[in-house]
Amino acid sequence: MASRDIKFLVKDLKKATIEGARTACVKIMNDLVKAGPAYSGDFSASWYALAPGKAAGGPRSSTGLYNYTLRNVPKTKFKEAGLYTIVNTSSYANEALDLVPYSRPTEELEERKNLGKNIDVGGRSPGNTRGQITGDGGATSSAPADWWSTFGVGGGLDKSLKKGFIRGFLTFGKAQGFGS
Amino acid sequence: MNYQAIRAAVENPLLTAFGSLSPAVPVFFDNITAVPANTTTEYVRVNVTFGITNEATLTSSVDNARGAVVIRVFTEKGKGPARNQTLLTTAVNVLETLNNTAKTNSGVFFRVGDINGPTFSATEDAPMFMGRIDTGYVATVIS
Repeated sequence: MASRDIKFLVKDLKKATIEGARTACVKIMNDLVKAGPAYSGDFSASWYALAPGKAAGGPRSSTGLYNYTLRNVPKTKFKEAGLYTIVNTSSYANEALDLVPYSRPTEELEERKNLGKNIDVGGRSPGNTRGQITGDGGATSSAPADWWSTFGVGGGLDKSLKKGFIRGFLTFGKAQGFGS
Repeated sequence: MNYQAIRAAVENPLLTAFGSLSPAVPVFFDNITAVPANTTTEYVRVNVTFGITNEATLTSSVDNARGAVVIRVFTEKGKGPARNQTLLTTAVNVLETLNNTAKTNSGVFFRVGDINGPTFSATEDAPMFMGRIDTGYVATVIS
């Protein structure tokens, strides 16, 4: 039976909490990729988990839907207020998140990649958001309208956070001899 | 589960509130295509989405649903945010009233969370100035 001295408890709990938070970030970002739209894969590769006071890096290259791992979430210290902020750095993030009306891109787009998303085709009136497709037309949408709001406040985020955190916390705890 | 009753719990009071204004402001809901293209007349768009149904840990009842209510208010472009904000206030008042409504023995018990926004946009392609708020909700169907 594995054991560990009680004097390490606070230190181990802090480390386990950080690992829980890091794993939660990975789970959340992968679930955002799953729930969100994808045209070329660039938007899916633009999620960043930022430690307090840190800035996001440059755009990542992606040939498909991006798969996040712990390498994408920097280690941080427990003492700062808050642990991580998840942001999307794509230049058209607000449109992809349905926060502003859709604007036609100024540059010519490549052909849409087949990234395994269900594609809705229809009309998008001026003033409509990315996901507001109705009737006939040539506009496309690969995620439901208001997917971001639904994920964020409709329970998806809570579920990803809970599952990811527990997974990371327990994995670290077991490695240190707890629960054996 | 009665999704229609949940939807009605938030859509009806919004429709009533905007309909009571003078002049009345039209409200468009999901799957209503009647918003005129390039309209210059103010209107409100309400979208209700469903996230997780029957989350076991939420309450002792299993007949519950979580989701989002997104309210977009469209007003004339180039005229400042005042009118838009006035209409957004009407929407926020409705949401606050829903939260102050007592639980009954039947129907839907509907509660919203924090309200995000308002945020505003007036992009070149869009014919109107848009104000947007959203909030999460938890609804329990009581039978």
